[in-house]
Amino acid sequence: MATTRPSSRLTAAAALAGLLLVGACGRKGGCAGDYCGTLVIATAGEPDILLPPVSEFSSTREVTEQLFLKLADLGPSGNTIGDEDFQPLLAERWEWDTPTTLVFHLDPRARWQDGRRVTAADVAFTYDIYTDSLVSSPYRPSLRQISAVTTRDSLTVVFRFRQRYPEMFYDAVYHMRIMPSHLLREVPRSQWRSTAFGRAPVGDGPYRFVAWRAGESLELAADSTFFLGRPHIRRLIWRFTPDQQVAVTQLIAGDADAVEVLVTPDNRDRARADTQLAIYPYKGAAYGYLGFNLVAPGDTTKPHPLFGDRELRRALAMAVDRGNLLHNVFGDMAKVPPGPMSQLLWIWDPETRELPHDSARAARTLARLGWTDSDGDGIRDRDGHPLAFRLLVPTTSAVRRQYARLLQEQFRTMGIDVQLDEVDFSVFSERAHAGRFDALIAVWNTDPTPSSGIPQTWTRAGFGRSNYGRYENPVFERLADRAVTSVLSRDEARRTWRAAIETLNQDAPAVFLFATENVAAVHKRVADVRIRPDSWLALVRTWRIPADRLTDRDRVER
Amino acid sequence: MAAWLVRRLAASIAIVWAVVTLTFIIVHLAHGSPCGQPDGRPVSPEVCLDLTRRFGLDQPIWIQYVKYLTALLRGDLGESLALHRPVADALAEALPNTFTLALTALMLDFALGLALGIYQAARERRFGDIALGNAALFVNSMPTFWLGLVLLLVFGERLHWFPVGGPRDLVRCPRVDSLLCFGDFLWHLTLPALTLGLVGAAATARYQRAALLEVIRQDYVRTARAKGLPERRVLMVHALRNALLPLVTLFGLTFPFLLTGAVLVETVFAWPGMGRLAVTAILQRDYPIVTAASLVASVMVVLGNLLADALYGVADPRIRVRAS
Repeated sequence: MATTRPSSRLTAAAALAGLLLVGACGRKGGCAGDYCGTLVIATAGEPDILLPPVSEFSSTREVTEQLFLKLADLGPSGNTIGDEDFQPLLAERWEWDTPTTLVFHLDPRARWQDGRRVTAADVAFTYDIYTDSLVSSPYRPSLRQISAVTTRDSLTVVFRFRQRYPEMFYDAVYHMRIMPSHLLREVPRSQWRSTAFGRAPVGDGPYRFVAWRAGESLELAADSTFFLGRPHIRRLIWRFTPDQQVAVTQLIAGDADAVEVLVTPDNRDRARADTQLAIYPYKGAAYGYLGFNLVAPGDTTKPHPLFGDRELRRALAMAVDRGNLLHNVFGDMAKVPPGPMSQLLWIWDPETRELPHDSARAARTLARLGWTDSDGDGIRDRDGHPLAFRLLVPTTSAVRRQYARLLQEQFRTMGIDVQLDEVDFSVFSERAHAGRFDALIAVWNTDPTPSSGIPQTWTRAGFGRSNYGRYENPVFERLADRAVTSVLSRDEARRTWRAAIETLNQDAPAVFLFATENVAAVHKRVADVRIRPDSWLALVRTWRIPADRLTDRDRVER
Repeated sequence: MAAWLVRRLAASIAIVWAVVTLTFIIVHLAHGSPCGQPDGRPVSPEVCLDLTRRFGLDQPIWIQYVKYLTALLRGDLGESLALHRPVADALAEALPNTFTLALTALMLDFALGLALGIYQAARERRFGDIALGNAALFVNSMPTFWLGLVLLLVFGERLHWFPVGGPRDLVRCPRVDSLLCFGDFLWHLTLPALTLGLVGAAATARYQRAALLEVIRQDYVRTARAKGLPERRVLMVHALRNALLPLVTLFGLTFPFLLTGAVLVETVFAWPGMGRLAVTAILQRDYPIVTAASLVASVMVVLGNLLADALYGVADPRIRVRAS
């Protein structure tokens, strides 16, 4: 007996080692040629439901754009005015019957993945769903200028608009992904957010749904019969991680092939150092700002005791060295925005007039307003009140917390006392909406057009919504309205937007801190990687893994 | 015995009810709303209002509470505000992953803890005992998430010995349906289970050492030695059996502790379990998931206690006599 013990131990150890080895190695697969390959995308966000009309998450959009098509999509220029730069998807062509009547002709080859044809009735049904108050789609406000969508025949659909404006075509095609009416018509409108279809959808896009393991992964497979061309990469797998840092770690460790954004210069350097990875910079859709509350916290009828004063806001804006802050937090992975805009917007113009960083002028203005350090405690005061305010930031954002600390220090050197209120995101959001703050650091992700985000956030229309600080200026609103609604060329629109932004900048309702420059990382074996800034995976069906670069994992058959 | 069991069960139900009630009240009174949108796009007030109405969040808290309890008694845990699906479905997907992780960690905890404790007791105050004692103290004082991060960076990112997250290779083994995929699963499980199990093993070793040292000074052990039995037999057969009693209690209590401790480990290793589900739900103010997760955790703690009592009764007849 005694002699068998060591050998049984050895056997057990060998068995375990064998199991581990088996785990480490893989089955050799058989796929070969141009249509193999698996792309594992590490991402911090998980979709809520795979139903575009009711989903509000960007992580959902990333998946559903592979499953459901729009009528047409933005072209590489990102131009949202007119229809010249749009590219056909479900609609093979379109024409204007009248200045406010747009007719789409659907591609007769388009099919749902259950074999049924995509018809004009699907488009009319989709419009009906997106605008139904019972469904309560977050995109409903974006479709308010469309008065009706009707069918002319099984492949022709007619959009009628309430008025003529520059982005009519954009509104008609960009917000809606067409839904299969034959599969969804029976779903009660009030139950759209929980329908089983949303967890196992049937689409008409380049990829079809395979599996969704909550908290872990989501898998799509290429539809070899896709009417616009078979996707080269056979499988797309999203791997969900608790945060972006873990996503980057998985990429570096080789457990994933791509991440959308590397976020920090550190991560970018890590990715650069990895010989297996290629990095792809593209324009970011986010901008962040230090926003002032112009009304008293909790009482919108009274001005804020500090920030109700335009001159004081202007002095504070001039006191902030935005370039220095940006360098400290983002390195070269962001730019100082010339106003409330992301780099994605075509109105981005570095020549836009802004308040300069001029701490001496800021100090003079503060002194002129009566804010001096009368008691020598390092903090300016007036009539016995210190120049002090609280800055609201969400704990979930490392970038904003870092900015808050740096701003606190810059303001301290100017004799301004800033106390930080760091709260979790839902509390931040609740307090911002209720106006219960002095100042906050907010970040917005923008659509490719200035016409939706800017009026929502910086005009009276945004009161109680995303205009947290309740900024209003009739001149700015008139200019913005003109840029959105008047029939203008792109150059005219650009000039009008610039005048509007300059007006806003002079009022200093906020200090615009950063506009991100995104950097994606993708494994080098993937070729033809093209990224459209408004949606980084929009063109993934054209990415490919050449046959000579396929790995064992790419060849795996299941 | 039956009366004791009925009393314990009644107390357990009361404890679970109290935990559920407290959790319900706390999460509903906490600031923040489920309308928050971490990706930075505005949520329109209409959508937010619709969500609030749909889930009855605009009603007084006591009405919401009564509705919740009524549904709970029918076995309905409600619907997740953020996931748009029944809470029971979300838990049913997450719980097996957490159980697997916690059970593996538990086995590791006790196997390693027991072995180290015996080794230390047998070499009391010698170099091996002192070195291991200090090492155990060091590991025991480490925060679990920190240990997890260190293991992940060293063995995952640097050495590439283990995967850095998730429970499987998503390409080769989407399901555990072969020996190969079982091996893959164990490979993925190693680092998270080690993280959770090592910290517990350090504590278990200290318990076991102390218990064994107490027993080996007793007369019957001295008698066994006097009879000329080999030291290994004295230790492993005569002393260990009695020294295991405190550990039996610990066994029942450790499982729920590991279950709740898995929260951080699941986050570090992207393990799709209940802990990660609960953390995300708390951030999103997904009240039904948060309350259900507390319910499950409290049931586990109560069951763990019951199990510990029962095991103690089985192991020690004196306890059985007192209880009856």
